[in-house]
Amino acid sequence: MASSVTEIAVGEWHPAGSSRSVPSRLIEDGGGVKALGEDGVELAGGVLAAVDISARVGAIPRRVEFPDGSLFETTDNDAMDRFLKRKGKTSLVHEWERFHPRLIAVVLATVLCGVAIYRYAVPALVEVAVLVTPPIVPKIMSASTLETMDRTLLDTSALSAERQNKIRDGFNAIARQSDRGEGGYRLNFRKGGTIGPNAFALPDGTLIVTDELIELAGDDTEMIIGVLAHEIGHVELEHSLRQIYRAAGVAGLIMMIGGDIGSGAEDILVQGAGLLTLSYSRGAESAADRHSVELMQKAGRDSTAIARFFDLLEDKLDDHGDTSILSTHPGTPERRKAILDYAAQLRAGAQ
Amino acid sequence: MVVAETASMQGTSTQRVPDNFHRLSFSGSGKEYFGIWIVNVLLTIITLGIYSAWAKVRRNRYFYGNTVLLGRAFEYHAKGKQILIGRVIVFAYLIFYNVMLTFVPIAGIILALLLVVFVPWLVVRGLRFSARVTSYRNVRFDFVGGVGGAFLAFIVGPVISVLTLGILVPLASRWSYRYIGSNLRYGQRAFTTDPSVGAIYKSWFLSAAIIVAGLLIIAFIGFLNLAVIMTLFDGSYVATPELQVSMIALFVIGYLAFFSIFGVATLFYRAGVRNVAWSATTFDGKHQLTSDLSRGRYAWITITNVIVTLLTLGLMRPWAAVRMTRYVNEHTGVHFEGNVGEMFDKIAQEGSAVGSEFMDFEGFDFGF
Repeated sequence: MASSVTEIAVGEWHPAGSSRSVPSRLIEDGGGVKALGEDGVELAGGVLAAVDISARVGAIPRRVEFPDGSLFETTDNDAMDRFLKRKGKTSLVHEWERFHPRLIAVVLATVLCGVAIYRYAVPALVEVAVLVTPPIVPKIMSASTLETMDRTLLDTSALSAERQNKIRDGFNAIARQSDRGEGGYRLNFRKGGTIGPNAFALPDGTLIVTDELIELAGDDTEMIIGVLAHEIGHVELEHSLRQIYRAAGVAGLIMMIGGDIGSGAEDILVQGAGLLTLSYSRGAESAADRHSVELMQKAGRDSTAIARFFDLLEDKLDDHGDTSILSTHPGTPERRKAILDYAAQLRAGAQ
Repeated sequence: MVVAETASMQGTSTQRVPDNFHRLSFSGSGKEYFGIWIVNVLLTIITLGIYSAWAKVRRNRYFYGNTVLLGRAFEYHAKGKQILIGRVIVFAYLIFYNVMLTFVPIAGIILALLLVVFVPWLVVRGLRFSARVTSYRNVRFDFVGGVGGAFLAFIVGPVISVLTLGILVPLASRWSYRYIGSNLRYGQRAFTTDPSVGAIYKSWFLSAAIIVAGLLIIAFIGFLNLAVIMTLFDGSYVATPELQVSMIALFVIGYLAFFSIFGVATLFYRAGVRNVAWSATTFDGKHQLTSDLSRGRYAWITITNVIVTLLTLGLMRPWAAVRMTRYVNEHTGVHFEGNVGEMFDKIAQEGSAVGSEFMDFEGFDFGF
């Protein structure tokens, strides 16, 4: 028996629940470990399986808790590691944490994984979330949004019934060409007030166009239809749901590593993610523009009608701005060119 | 030596033995923490956040385990699973709350009521959990505060602070420090905190002055650039490219200036209140805690930490975290009355703190 007794480490021993401590040695004895006092008397002991040895973190004191609740503590981490290694237990996490050139690989892996998660995992999760979202969700969301907007921003339309019907006929013709069909959309006319010439789509297919936009368009009904086809694009491609899920997913990920990166850096990351959301929004606008071109062409209408809308914006509102990192929509001249190019490309493909 | 003697003679009139004042120290290093940190971040990212609970355990074990008083380190005992359960509960509540807010805005009254009850409860759970998983010399801390006190400190306090535009912030600070400080236990002994409102207002005035002066400067610069700003509001919006550029520049500078003014004021206030509150705290009725952070130095360390972290794309964050902890620890101490060894020999664990630990989960995250 005596031959199997080996000293593991020196440290201090606490009785259960007491802050009193005495100098002690930890020894390996047969199938277990024991804490001995200075005089060699056994203070506590237990078989290895019943003893709780804390995992190594840096160089903080190592704890060995005995079944009776008493505690042996030592700063000799290396000795404890040697003992555990003999017993076939190594801590993989600590091994990787050690300051070692291998950490360069860990840093690179972290950057790569971060980018991969942002580029692939978040969009994939967003797709899954969009798929499992029951149709009732966008419905309730849209109903409450429209109600709020009607109460605060919008007014009843002052447009003549004749003009409304003309636009509605054109709109129904292109809605028939869309995946959701004519019944998937409801067109609403409203007086825009402070929001001015505008058109927008709610995720359940509710479309709103303001009197100001129609006045701006004048006699060019085709152009209004083009703009509405763009809004159909937003609904068809489920942009609003995607944007909500995406923002939530990215914010969630940042929150998870928040404790490790500190609150200051976390705030700045959140702001950065906001800027990236804007770029996502610019991408969504371009996709909706292309959708407008496709729909208009399918319906046998003027596929470049929406480009004229951008001409108008440039002339009347004097909007020559380029795309900047701070904008939600691509720059107007840029968009017009992209639309004309895409329409030409589609026509070439059709012939 | 002569200088030190005169200093202690001119100091407080109490007859404290100078030997009995002990400061905390920090024995970790940025180099050592770097490995722990980067592995934490990597595993958190690949597990889509689930590992963050275990990452927190390793991070806290490192920081507590290197915080040393009288040659002994603190210890953090939480298990990853307990933290994960707490996070799932908070996360589920937030989703529920946001879903309800989006779809049934009319149910706002019920939600507000739920929030008012649920948040203080989570705060109490979080405080109790944090206390119970912290030990020093094999004895756990405990927290005995109730939901009512948490409601006053963490709901009423922030609300009146906002409503009074910050004028009552010192009152809110006093409530929260008193609530935490006076309900904290170590062994069977209690901590008591009673910071005076006057002392907190003293450090509040400095921060208020910084904000007022800063806003005046911004207003003055804004006045000088009135021509640019006017075009934004008169509706004509004939922005030449040059005007647009200067408008964006003005916007960015204004944004940065605004945040740095409030940031600096907040940091000054935070350090000042910590000094007041910790120095008004005693343990077991006689051992006096002390905090003597320099407000300027504290703000400087925080700001340079953020800048260095950003410039190195996060890689210097471990160094920054260690630097801050070391500074705060080294400016925190305890005046012990009587023989320290004898005192600690008498302190023993109360049953309750550990018994329920395995049933416990963390609510809102509150570190001490």
